[in-house]
Amino acid sequence: MAQPASRLSHGRFTPLKFLAPSVLALLAVGIWPTIFALVTSLREYKLTRPRSGFPFVGLDNYQAVLTDATFWETLARTAGFYLTVMPVQLALGLAIALMLHRPGWGAVRSLLRVSLVVPLATTYAVVGLIGRLVFNRDFGVANQFASWLGLPGLDWLGNPHGAFAAIALMDIWQWTPFCALIFLAGLSMVPNEIEEAARLETKSHWALLRHVQLPYLLPGLTAVLILRSADILKLFDMVFTMTRGGPGAATELVSIYIQRVGFRIFDMGTASAQAILLLVLTIMLSRLFIRVFYREIER
Amino acid sequence: MKTPLKATALAALGAIAIACAVPPTPAQAQSAWAIDKAAAPLKGTKIKVMFLDRPGYRAIIKLLPEFEKQTGIKVNYEIVPYENAREKQVLNFTSKGDLTMALVDLVWIGEFAESGWIVPIDTYSKDAAITDPNLNLKGFFPLLLNAFGSWDGKVYGLPFDNYSGLMFYNRCMLKESGFDQPPQTWDELKNVYAPKLTKADKKQFAFALQSLRGETQSADSFMRFLWPWGGSLLDKDFKSNLMAPGSQTGLKFRQDLMKYMPPGVVSYDHAEAVNALAQGQVAMITEWSAFYGTLTDPKTSKLGDCLAVAPEPAGPAGRLPALGGFSLAVASQASPAQQKASWLFIQWATSEAIAKPYVEAGGVSGRMAVYDDPAIQAKYKYVKPMVESWQKGVPEYRPRFPAWASLTEIVAEFGSKMMLGEAPVDQGAKEIGTRIETVLKKEGYYDGKKKKLQ
Repeated sequence: MAQPASRLSHGRFTPLKFLAPSVLALLAVGIWPTIFALVTSLREYKLTRPRSGFPFVGLDNYQAVLTDATFWETLARTAGFYLTVMPVQLALGLAIALMLHRPGWGAVRSLLRVSLVVPLATTYAVVGLIGRLVFNRDFGVANQFASWLGLPGLDWLGNPHGAFAAIALMDIWQWTPFCALIFLAGLSMVPNEIEEAARLETKSHWALLRHVQLPYLLPGLTAVLILRSADILKLFDMVFTMTRGGPGAATELVSIYIQRVGFRIFDMGTASAQAILLLVLTIMLSRLFIRVFYREIER
Repeated sequence: MKTPLKATALAALGAIAIACAVPPTPAQAQSAWAIDKAAAPLKGTKIKVMFLDRPGYRAIIKLLPEFEKQTGIKVNYEIVPYENAREKQVLNFTSKGDLTMALVDLVWIGEFAESGWIVPIDTYSKDAAITDPNLNLKGFFPLLLNAFGSWDGKVYGLPFDNYSGLMFYNRCMLKESGFDQPPQTWDELKNVYAPKLTKADKKQFAFALQSLRGETQSADSFMRFLWPWGGSLLDKDFKSNLMAPGSQTGLKFRQDLMKYMPPGVVSYDHAEAVNALAQGQVAMITEWSAFYGTLTDPKTSKLGDCLAVAPEPAGPAGRLPALGGFSLAVASQASPAQQKASWLFIQWATSEAIAKPYVEAGGVSGRMAVYDDPAIQAKYKYVKPMVESWQKGVPEYRPRFPAWASLTEIVAEFGSKMMLGEAPVDQGAKEIGTRIETVLKKEGYYDGKKKKLQ
C-alpha cells in the first residue's frame, strides 16, 4: 500500500528541522560563550573575590581597557608581529604552491604535499617547546647553523629582539604550509585550457601569475588573511611556552596580556572587555580584507 | 538527712564522675589513638589534591600506599606545573570542583583564607577522634608554620613542601680560584669572588640568578635583592618602599652583579640556573633547598663531590634568605567526611613520624626533630645551612595578601626590564611603586577598609 502523499512531501518546517542541530550546536559553542563574555565585561567580575559579588559596572571595564597603556602596547606589538610574519608566510607559501603546481615530480610532489600538513598538525605548545630547544643558546640548532655559516651564536631567548625573532620564526615555520596549501588549492582551480593557452601566449611566469592565476588566488588570500589575523590575535600557547611574554615585555602579545589579566589576576570583567574589543577588531579587519582583496572569479 | 550508705554511694559516684571527666594523660591518649581506628568510619572515602612535579611530591607519592593501606582512604592527586597550580585551584574552588585539599603556596595563603576556600585547622584539631595526639604544632619550625600556614592569627595549613634559599656552589671551581670557603656576604661575592671566577672567553661565570619573567623574576630575583640590604617592597603603611635607600642599593647591586652572570640570564628559570651549576658553567647559584636532589643526581649533574651548600650570603641588614614553600589545608568545598579524611591525610603527611622516611624519599620536612638526627645531618649537606636559614627569616618576604597576584605581575614586568636595561633602576622602581599603590588603593588598604596584613 502506498504511503499517503502528505507524509512524503516536505512541510514548511522541514528545512528548520535539518538546520536545528547545527544552529543549536553553534549556539552552545559560539554564541552563548560570546554573550556570557559580553555580560561579564559589564560586571566587576573578580573570581578571587567571590564575597564581593559581581556587580554591574556599565562600561567601566571598557574605559579601563581603552586607557590602559599596557593594552595598547601589547596590541601594537601584536600588530608588529602580524606585519612581520604575514608577508613572509604569504611569499614563501606562494613560492611553495607554485613549485608544487608545476607538472612533473610525481611521487615527490605527493610526499611534499603531505609533509606540508606536519607543522599544521603540531600542537601550539609543542611548537613552543621545540622553539625553546631550537633557540637554546648553548645546544640549539639555530646557533649550530649560525656556527656553520661562521656567525657568532646569539642568545635568542635572553635578548628582546632575539626572542621576538624566535617566536616569529616558529610561527612562520608552522603557518607557511597553511598558506601554501590554500594557494595550491587556488591554483588548482585555474581551468587547464586557460592556463595552457596563456602558456602558449607568453613565457613570462610573472605575466601568467599576474593575469591568469592571481584572480583565482584572491579568495584564498582573503581567507588566509582573515584566519591568520584572528589566529595571531589569540596566539598564546606557543609564545607562553617559549618565552612567557619575556624577556621584559618583548614577546608579550595581546593574548598573553589578556591571559595574565584573566587567569593570573582573575579579573574576568576586564579580560572579557579586552576579548570583546579584540573580537570587534577581528570583525573590522575581516570586513576590510574582504573589501580590499576579495574578488569573484569571472568565468 | 542523708544516710551514711547514701552518702558513701554519692561520694563514690562523684569520684567516678570526676575520674571520667579528667582528660586522659597524653601517654594514655597516644596509646589509645591510632590512625587506622580514626579512619575506620571514613574507609572508602576519596580525597583529592594537586601536586607539583617536584621532589617533595614524588616523595609523598612513594609513601602514599602505606597511608591508603592503613586508613582505607583513597588519595587521588593531579600533577600540575607550578605556573598552573594557582589557576587550576582557583577555578576548582570557584566552580565547586572536586578538590578536597588545597596546596597553598606561601603567597596564596591570604587569598585562599580570605576567600573562604580553606578551613582553619582548629575546626578539626578540637575533635580528638580524628586528631593525632602527637600533632605537636610546636614541632614545626615556627617560621614555616607562621609563613606557610597562618593568616590573620589562625592556622589553616601545615607546612608540607618546605624551601629555604641556599647557596649551592662548585667547591672545586672555588678552590681552583684560591677560595677555601664560600662568600659570607653579597659584597664579598661580587667584589672578591666574582671577578676571579668569571672567565667569559671560556663561557664560565661566577653566578647565575634565575630571572625568567613570572614568579621566578619577582620572587627569586627581584625580592632577593631587597631584604638583605634593609629594603622591602612595602613600608608599614603599605606604600611602596622601593625608593628607600636600602631597596635602591639592593636593586643596583643586582644590576652590577649581572656582569658576572651568563648572558641571557633574564630567560633563566630554575631549571636553567640549576643546570648551569650542574654542568660547570657557573660557580655559584642561590636556589631553593628542594633542588639538592637534582644537583646530587649523577643523571642530571656532573658535580659529584664538588657540590657544596651554604646559607645565602648576608647583606648589610643581615642574612635574610629567600623563603618559600607550600602547606596543605582542608578545602571548605569538600563534604564533611572528605574534610575529615583530608585532615587525617594532612596530619600524616606532615607528621613527625613520617618526617624521616619523607626526607629519605627526597622531601624536605618542616619538622625540627628530624634534622637533629645525626644520620640525616651526615647524609644531606643541605640540612645544616637550611636549618640555620629557618632560624630567622621574614614571613612577609613576599607579601602574602590576596593582592600579591597582581603585584607579582607588575614586579616581574619591570624587574625584567630593569635587568635588560630597558628601564633604569630608579625609574623602574618608581613605576612599580606607582602601579602597586594603584592596586592596593583599589583593594582598600589606604581608606581603612582592609586590615594591613601581609
